[in-house]
Amino acid sequence: MKTLSNSGVLGGDVLLKTAVFSYVGILVILPILYVSFQALGQGFGKVWADILQPSALFSLKLTFFSAIGMAVINAITGVAMAWVMVRHNFPGKPIINSLIDLPFALPTNVTGLMLVILYGPVSLLGKFLKIRGIEIIYAQPGIILALLFVTFPFVVRSVQPVLMELDKDIEEAAATLGARKFTTFRKVILPHLMPSILTGVALAFSRALGEFGSVVVVAGNIPMKTQVAPVFIYGEIESYNPRGALAVSLVLLIASLLILMLLNVLQKWGRERGT
Amino acid sequence: MKARFINSLFRTVLVVALTLFIVNVAFSQKERTLILGAYTVPKEAYEKEVIPAFQVYWKQKTGEVVKFEESYVASGAQARAIIGGLEADVAALSLEGDLQKVVEAGLITHDWKSGPNKGMVTRSVVAIGYRPGNPKNIWDWDDLTKPGIEVLYPNPKTSGGAMWDVNAIYGAGLMISEMKTGKPDPAYAENLLMAVQKNVKVMDKSGRESVSTFERGIGDALVTYENEILLRQMEGKDLPFVVPKATILIENPTAIVDKYVDKHGTREVAEAFVEFCFNEQSQRAFAKYGFRPVVPKIAEEFKDKYPVPEMLFDINYLGGWGEVEKTIYGADGVWTRIVERIATGK
Repeated sequence: MKTLSNSGVLGGDVLLKTAVFSYVGILVILPILYVSFQALGQGFGKVWADILQPSALFSLKLTFFSAIGMAVINAITGVAMAWVMVRHNFPGKPIINSLIDLPFALPTNVTGLMLVILYGPVSLLGKFLKIRGIEIIYAQPGIILALLFVTFPFVVRSVQPVLMELDKDIEEAAATLGARKFTTFRKVILPHLMPSILTGVALAFSRALGEFGSVVVVAGNIPMKTQVAPVFIYGEIESYNPRGALAVSLVLLIASLLILMLLNVLQKWGRERGT
Repeated sequence: MKARFINSLFRTVLVVALTLFIVNVAFSQKERTLILGAYTVPKEAYEKEVIPAFQVYWKQKTGEVVKFEESYVASGAQARAIIGGLEADVAALSLEGDLQKVVEAGLITHDWKSGPNKGMVTRSVVAIGYRPGNPKNIWDWDDLTKPGIEVLYPNPKTSGGAMWDVNAIYGAGLMISEMKTGKPDPAYAENLLMAVQKNVKVMDKSGRESVSTFERGIGDALVTYENEILLRQMEGKDLPFVVPKATILIENPTAIVDKYVDKHGTREVAEAFVEFCFNEQSQRAFAKYGFRPVVPKIAEEFKDKYPVPEMLFDINYLGGWGEVEKTIYGADGVWTRIVERIATGK
């Protein structure tokens, strides 16, 4: 009886594995392979030439630099937010906690429109800043702002559970040994949090590379000035140039893949160091 | 017992099937469905006037009820949808280039330009919208090149219709230089387009979004179709505009899609519908919603609403769509070059 149920579980496992792999294959791998083959099918030289075309290259640079800017800010504010949520009690905490995920629920073009209305050149704040020569909307800060909004939950949500698990004893031990608060954070807590921060940042970064809906509203979309890669890709598709679109998409895909792989390596390294 | 049950079940199924069959035949004789795949701008004219009038006309003529399934999206997206399998019987698009893609996909096999007015059902011109009271003194293309003026028009890469705007400015440059020197000067035209492009603040995805951005208070001038502005004015918006002296004549094509009408068996009614769009009643309806009529008699009726600009040119002045896609928007085209020149400051 016992052996029978065991083999049942095993059989179920094989079935489950097959089901999961087919699901991932159909849902994720197949479309990505299709894009890659379609792009590379044109020949590597052509893909390369499409990527090096000035407005394509510019859009990629703008996308990457904006995503990096977003990632740095998000890492800092995300950890701070997680810290406050885990280590402090204040009225309305459950409400704030549920608000964190809200950016995921909002359609991204609504996000864009909201940012234009709040910070655009016609808004009070926008006018105030414009006099001082600062532009947010229809410039790079607007792009970063939109990216920050749509990726906000990633870092907070990956750091929060790790911080909750973290034993307060270590901190107390460090404190009794005479370490100052910031030193404790930097030397004791941060290394523990690092893998989860990197996870959050990498997810946010990948998400930011492909973000279209909010950015197309706030960026201004002027080629070689404020046009990001996803908007460039959209334009190439709209003007019947799928090849150019695929080439630039491929760069975004490969970049995301590398980042996520790097993340896996870092996490492994983190675990090994942790034990 | 069992046999009787099966027998009665069998009879019930037979009766139901027969009823369904009769109902189906009865309805298919009386009702036809026509799928219209159009771009967004003429939506009101089709929906409120042309289609209801055609339905009445077809009912009187044949006794059949024609139902319409209407789809309105941006012209390029509509062309791609039709190519991708949206089985539109009739395609009404904003520019010839988009319809040409449907032809190239093998879906339109007849010579659609052989119809009345070469298949072009409506017209318009590219105009410049400005703020009430015209505080920045915007009357012509030159005024858009002045320092500090913020201009809006959609990106011609993301909105096929926006190519009309860029064509208008570039063509106006050629036209103006031709008036001055007797010969169109591409360098003059390129500089004019570049000077305007330098002042462009936002390039939205589509013409309609560009108007919305302008209405949100952004920009001093808006380059768009005259009919788009007239439609907004009909909705009660305070959006004054000027038609520049030199501008392009916009022509919007309509054609039946052979592959789909043959599949649906709707060729006859689809052809009748396209023809109906050219009659006086429909042309008046289009004129009411901001389009310039193509039928001379109706154009004459509306000549006060739609004065003809001094230096009006059409796409052929620029060499036709095939040429424009290469010389203006191609990898070495004027537009591509201007964008790079502005970015590098050369």
